[in-house]
Amino acid sequence: MQPNTAPLAETGHTTLLTARDITKTFDRTRALQGANFELREGEVHGLLGANGAGKSTLSKVISGHYTLDSGELTYRGHEIRLRSTRDALRIGIAIVMQETSLVPDLTVLENIFLPELGRPGRLDYSELRRRGQEILNDLGQGDSLPFDWEVRRLSSAQKQLVEIAKALGVRAKLLIFDEPTASLSPGEAERLFDIMARLRSSGHGLVFVSHRLEEVFAITDRVTVMREGRTVMNAHPTATLSQAELIRAMVGAELGAIYERGESHHVAETDAPVALEVRNLASAPAVRDVSFSVRKGEILGIGGLVGAGRSETVEAIFGLRPRTGGEVTLGGKKLRADSPQTAIRAGLGFVAEDRRTQNIVPDLSVKENLLLAHLGAHRGFFCSYASREKKVKELLAKLGMPEDRVADASMLNFSGGMQQKIIIARWLLLEPDVLILDEPTKGVDIGTRASIYAMLRDIAAEGVALVVVSSDFEELLGLSDRVVVISDGRTIADLPSAMLDEESLTLLAAPRTSMVRNTEMLNGLAREHGGSGFWALIEGERLICLNAVVSNPALDPGFRAGQARELGATQIPEALRRREPIFVPEADRSRTTLVVPMTSPRGHDLGWVGLSLPADRPLPAPDTIKSRIDTMAATL
Amino acid sequence: MANTETLNRRAPASPLKQFAQRLEVRMLLLALLIAVCLSFLSPFFLTKSNIFNLLDQSVVIGIVAVGMTFVILTGGIDLSVGSVAGLTGIILGLSLQHVPIVPAIGIAVVAGGFIGLISGTLITVFGLAPFVVTLGVMAIGRSLAYIFSGQTAISNIPEAMQNIVYTDVLGIPSNVLFLIALYAAAWGYLTYTKGGRTIYAVGSNKEAARAAGLNTTFYSILPYVLSGAFAAVAITFSISQLLSADPLMGNQMELDAIAAVVIGGASLYGGRGSMIGTLIGVFIMVMIRNGLNLMGVSPFWQGTAIGTIIILALLVERLVSSRISR
Repeated sequence: MQPNTAPLAETGHTTLLTARDITKTFDRTRALQGANFELREGEVHGLLGANGAGKSTLSKVISGHYTLDSGELTYRGHEIRLRSTRDALRIGIAIVMQETSLVPDLTVLENIFLPELGRPGRLDYSELRRRGQEILNDLGQGDSLPFDWEVRRLSSAQKQLVEIAKALGVRAKLLIFDEPTASLSPGEAERLFDIMARLRSSGHGLVFVSHRLEEVFAITDRVTVMREGRTVMNAHPTATLSQAELIRAMVGAELGAIYERGESHHVAETDAPVALEVRNLASAPAVRDVSFSVRKGEILGIGGLVGAGRSETVEAIFGLRPRTGGEVTLGGKKLRADSPQTAIRAGLGFVAEDRRTQNIVPDLSVKENLLLAHLGAHRGFFCSYASREKKVKELLAKLGMPEDRVADASMLNFSGGMQQKIIIARWLLLEPDVLILDEPTKGVDIGTRASIYAMLRDIAAEGVALVVVSSDFEELLGLSDRVVVISDGRTIADLPSAMLDEESLTLLAAPRTSMVRNTEMLNGLAREHGGSGFWALIEGERLICLNAVVSNPALDPGFRAGQARELGATQIPEALRRREPIFVPEADRSRTTLVVPMTSPRGHDLGWVGLSLPADRPLPAPDTIKSRIDTMAATL
Repeated sequence: MANTETLNRRAPASPLKQFAQRLEVRMLLLALLIAVCLSFLSPFFLTKSNIFNLLDQSVVIGIVAVGMTFVILTGGIDLSVGSVAGLTGIILGLSLQHVPIVPAIGIAVVAGGFIGLISGTLITVFGLAPFVVTLGVMAIGRSLAYIFSGQTAISNIPEAMQNIVYTDVLGIPSNVLFLIALYAAAWGYLTYTKGGRTIYAVGSNKEAARAAGLNTTFYSILPYVLSGAFAAVAITFSISQLLSADPLMGNQMELDAIAAVVIGGASLYGGRGSMIGTLIGVFIMVMIRNGLNLMGVSPFWQGTAIGTIIILALLVERLVSSRISR
């Protein structure tokens, strides 16, 4: 064996873990197909990717939850084979997940030292307490955990701290944080970053899996980006990256050919009657303020990241989840929210996200599964299956399933794609006015996907309004006429898909911790000076507006939050093109605009902030505006 | 095409194999095997009088097992049937002191259904565990039976009650006829009506059933109501035979009923089971008890024997079914 000659001073650059060409297949879905990853001691390494890119799978391979199919894991210079999370923990690899590995009925102390409880012999509680205190002190959190409380009484931030302490209790050297800030308030997230910084300086290697780009820029040293199970950007220093580069790496390739919609693209039918209208819908805690409408024959996509409240929104519309505000109108009539039965009888259909737990009734035959929504909508004592006999035959023929061979078979004998088609057919049988589909191609192989898309397009062509929720932005853009983006439980954009691409969609969907403070600042600027303010990303000739505040209607910049525009199509092309540190008047002299870059404390481009004012009034000094923006940016 | 591919992945089984894959069929074979064994062990087993005796003994447990099948199909359990039978028996006995036979039976059955309604509501609406709720009702029911009866049997039951049991129709005793009719009706309900299919769907996947618009709340409560009501019907037949209502009646009846349903192939997780299976399960239970009596096995040993046979039957079934379905 090669002796370890690396001098101690260089520990900051000692490689802790390398993963090479990792593959992992579930059923027939290839979650990882050649993933590479490298982590050093004393670094925070961001692991990024769109929904389903494989970042969670890779984390779980490294932490021993999944065994890899092929590839090589090297940890501290030795090749390792992990058969369980216990194997991983023993050598010092731990994953910090949300609450999942804690025992709610045991105390904080017992949870931190849970692995010790499995050892023979007596437990020395005072010794454990001393060690627990030591760990918390090292994290700078000396008094933030009551050791004697049961874990169920803790807040989610505290539970996370227990998870971290537990990992350190077994002397973990490598910690994986999987979406650690998802359920934290901004203050709590700050504290977490402080903890992570301390762990980094004590030589731990940290993997940070997150959707939130701002946090990635704030805390990570290097970044690895995954797409479709492959590593597309390997260990790139964060300091030399821009947001746009990162997003381009996450989104990658062009739209696939499977979305050929040909001439059937029916954007023209914007005068069709509105089939479903949702106004200010709320369903605590996940859905806060969602509004959109769909016309007959239209396919509306609902996009957003996992956890943005998309599924909760459609479940609240359908009556599966109590509403706490807002209203839903179906075909001009108000839809009460009491039960799915009400919604179904009013003409709504819903293919829920999880096929196995929310759609399939495994002990009933294919035929009865097909007829299940009929049974739900039917009034009467008997089943009246015969009344649908003809339509069932028709649908089964359309699905390519000979009735005599499949009608009595179990649903579980079929592939995921076929099951999904049967579930969709379940609703078509009722001829609904509006059909909502939550992740209709989840776990479906690529070939069947194309036929599901064709099926959905046919349904829309018959005049049914479709609402499709999807995490796959490529699918969303290829399939829908219009896309509504939901982030943190609110609709933040409603745009024709022709105006969007995956990049702008990714940008719009990303939850922004800075949004609140930014809106406050824009409001302040616009009101004090009697103008309008905006925050936008500008790339070449194109602008994507992240936020806009208009206090003076005459000064509308020509775009709203969530919209993408060519610079020439806005009201302020001159200022946007020049972007100089002075107020730039437009050609018609009606207004003058200052456009200032916004930069994060670590020097990253966060886009541009603009302020438009009437040209006929005395202007404030550009520097005071600029310093105000810089002050705000410095706190991000 | 993708479709044909998925269809071919699993070839349909031969008709014989499909037949053998049905659990009821295998349990019927088991029942016949037990009958053959017992007829060798005891010369009296296959006599005409003993066969009528077997049918007669099947009635009470058979009626209770109908309600139990409904409950187990939804994924629940009803431990209270025995004590509800005891309590409604006392209610029937007391009612007979004041009103004619038909309204008295009506009162008892409604009382049983009402108790089931309470259990079902606590389980479905308030989300309590079926095991715990019915365990509590079991204790309350037995206790109230003692209190209402004054701790003694009510023995002045009108003799006309016997007509319920001892009227023959076409040479078949009326109680056996009732059992057959009840099983036919329950089978028809579970197979052909919206309610019956909903009960299967609730037990198999309640969330999916709800999302498809089925009234899962109502059809989760209904089985407990039926279970309570059928416990009262069952005890009515017992009382008619004995002309006495004892607060101890129906003791441990829940165990026999659950055993019969499970032997009949129902899954305790819900969604799987049938009336035909339950009927076979009832016959197996009654035959074993009857055979042990004929052979003069001490009642103290009978529990050991029955328990062993139930566990062995299910163990063999598990081993065989995993072999067949492969």
